[in-house]
Amino acid sequence: MAWATASSLAATPLWPTPAGVAEALVAALRDGSLPRALGTSVLRLAVGYALALAGGVALGLALGRSVLVKDLAGPLVLGLSAVPSICWLPLSILWFGLSEAAIQVVVVLGALLPIAVATESAVRQVPPLWVRAARTMGASGLGLLYGVIVPAALPGIVAGAKLGFTFALRSLMAGELLFVSGGLGQLLETGRDLGDPALVLAVVVTIVALGRMLELALFRRLERLVARRWGTDRP
Amino acid sequence: MSSITNTPARTGRAGASATLAGVSFAFEAGRMAIADASLHVEAGELVCLVGPSGSGKSTILSLLAGLLAPVRGQVLEDGVPVRGPSPSRAVVFQEAALFPWLSLRANVEYPLSLSGVGRRERAARATELLRTVHLARFAASYPHELSGGMRQRGAIARALATDPKVLLMDEPFAALDAQTREILQGEVEQIFLATGKTIVFVTHNVREAVRLGDRVVLMGTRPGRILRTVAIAIERPRAPNDERVHAYVAELSAGIRAEVEKIAREEADDAWVAPRGGVRVDPAFGVGDGI
Ligand SMILES: Nc1ncnc2c1ncn2[C@@H]1O[C@H](COP(=O)(O)OP(=O)(O)OP(=O)(O)O)[C@@H](O)[C@H]1O
Ligand SMILES: [Mg+2]
Repeated sequence: MAWATASSLAATPLWPTPAGVAEALVAALRDGSLPRALGTSVLRLAVGYALALAGGVALGLALGRSVLVKDLAGPLVLGLSAVPSICWLPLSILWFGLSEAAIQVVVVLGALLPIAVATESAVRQVPPLWVRAARTMGASGLGLLYGVIVPAALPGIVAGAKLGFTFALRSLMAGELLFVSGGLGQLLETGRDLGDPALVLAVVVTIVALGRMLELALFRRLERLVARRWGTDRP
Repeated sequence: MSSITNTPARTGRAGASATLAGVSFAFEAGRMAIADASLHVEAGELVCLVGPSGSGKSTILSLLAGLLAPVRGQVLEDGVPVRGPSPSRAVVFQEAALFPWLSLRANVEYPLSLSGVGRRERAARATELLRTVHLARFAASYPHELSGGMRQRGAIARALATDPKVLLMDEPFAALDAQTREILQGEVEQIFLATGKTIVFVTHNVREAVRLGDRVVLMGTRPGRILRTVAIAIERPRAPNDERVHAYVAELSAGIRAEVEKIAREEADDAWVAPRGGVRVDPAFGVGDGI
């Protein structure tokens, strides 16, 4: 509402009305540019996030359970996780050229490190009592890891995975903006090149909707289940 | 609810003897948690450990379980040195050690799956064990849906799952109300009589120790050690309010009170010594003193 009033007052093409944005959205859907960009971005996100999730959880488990890994890689992981992952784009373009791999490096690094850090802290917070109980029943090594440590740390791992997802989406958009390669980020650039703020906003709306929808689809039920089962929703 | 007349009808491996031979243990160098403790628990005997907080009761259970290795001396099961945890020595802990992400049934099946028992046999064993502890109806429930007493029953069922020879129980009923505790004491005695397993039962509660133990071992602090052992000559099954229980309780309580007063005195000394340099100096741990 406020937006509609403000933009009709300003009445310049640089500050489009909601109706204008909706029009641009429909147009971009019709001519296929938006669906194509969306498809490209979602595919990249799926691949990058899956890699980051697998790598991040594995790294976090190793950091949380192995003193050796912690000593060797701990400071590095903490240091790197403070760097916005888009900073790796120049290096990764030098290494991989203008390729899918170059942009995936940014997505994977952006999500992997926060997932690893969250997983590590979840593992460290597993009550030692459960570990001791499992050991008295004969659990050790990998069986202890998969049977007790991972399920016990699951609430924290899920929280890390969710955080990692938002990082993956952000890194991807930043990467696509700077890197001509299709995808929603590039469509934003196209909007700018055409001097079409309605298109830019239409893409932003799409990104917001995509992020929310995927987050709900992936995490909503999982979080509820975990909170109920693990009792983290009770005082 | 359950009653103590509901006898668990299972037979399994009978008990093994458990021995501490001159065992010492320290969590930190120079500070003995257990000093030269010797204790022989016969196969099929129920021994209770009582003593004030910090007297090393839990440490002794962890040593018996094989979770800790002694600094000096030996821990033996049926005369064989213990080299780590084993399903033949099961532990029931004070608080919720059931895994919250597993149903009660899955919790009881967990140790069975670790020892490679097949799916169908696991299910059958779990059903039987849950019946033994009167929880058959709650097999599909999750731990947080159960009361504290039910959770400890579940923990007992899980401990019995691998048919251990020695059952180590660390204040399993400390968090329960008096009525529930009394019922569960009766159930432990029933399980003990029905299975012939060796049980080492740790408690703060002298009455509980006398109610359950063939022998009660009184422990002292600083360093944690065994002070004396009292045989309880009351036939089983015991009535919770047997006259003779009170007599034993009075005798043992005097011993514990002396220990607790000793600690209080030492702690007062600590407070008085503490200001010197801000370092907590404990007079009981002077070199060669009290060890
Ligand atoms: N993990 C640990 N690290 C260092 N010291 C410990 C540890 N666990 C126990 N201790 C110390 O060892 C001594 C014996 O502890 P233990 O837990 O065996 O006593 P307890 O008799 O079981 O006491 P409580 O009745 O409070 O359970 C205490 O002085 C305690 O502070
Ligand atoms: Mg204890």
